[in-house]
Amino acid sequence: MKYILMMTGTKADFDWYATWPKRDLQAQLAFMHSFTKELKDSGVLVATEGLAFPNEAKIVRAAADGSPITDGVFPESKEFLAGYWIVDVETPDQAYQLAARVSAGPGPKDRGNQPIEVRPVMSGPPPEML
Amino acid sequence: MKYILMMNTMRAGESVPKWPTKDLQAHIAFMLNLNKSLRESGELVSAEGLAFPDQARLVRAGKDGAPITDGVFPESKEFLAGFWIVQVDTPERAYTIAARASAAPGPGGAPLNMPIEVRQVMSGPPPEML
Repeated sequence: MKYILMMTGTKADFDWYATWPKRDLQAQLAFMHSFTKELKDSGVLVATEGLAFPNEAKIVRAAADGSPITDGVFPESKEFLAGYWIVDVETPDQAYQLAARVSAGPGPKDRGNQPIEVRPVMSGPPPEML
Repeated sequence: MKYILMMNTMRAGESVPKWPTKDLQAHIAFMLNLNKSLRESGELVSAEGLAFPDQARLVRAGKDGAPITDGVFPESKEFLAGFWIVQVDTPERAYTIAARASAAPGPGGAPLNMPIEVRQVMSGPPPEML
């Protein structure tokens, strides 16, 4: 079964992240890198991506003529996706174990463990929709 | 440049929309057709659909590193329903594709004009963090 592990944060979280001391950032990136490598080596990694900071995020809607209308204003509470891993594992518990590893990744001393959203990824639309 | 197009359109408790079957089928057919055309144009990097929010868990590491899972989310939380990653030359092209997805048909075949969040996907961490 495929699961997605998502890291999210508000704009304030991203702004705070950008102020981390360099050695904390480097420790965190090194952790992410070795975590991803371990997933790859163990054959469970399907995909992983990191997204740009939310400053340039846009909401796009189609106008009546189908052309894009873009908007860059978001509520302060909005949770932005920072990055994700998709893993192929046998049980949800295995996905939760991996998420807990990311949750406990290194950061500044007062950071605490991060919440990671975990959800199954579908192989296709539900059959009743086809 | 790689861009991610995200449908953050689901809320807690949502499941398959209560639309007439033929409208659901038209919606899915539209999405499959969009994927096909992006694949044929060579712009599609990946596309995923996520399970409904009732299967989402928030995972945190406990003190001992073991996962603590929680399935309760604020009502305001936007759940990622699915996403596309596209490889395009300009952000405008990503917005145009997002507008196509935005206009996917809903009940009665009318365009949903749903919001699609568009953001660049990074090839690696920002150089100043390394």
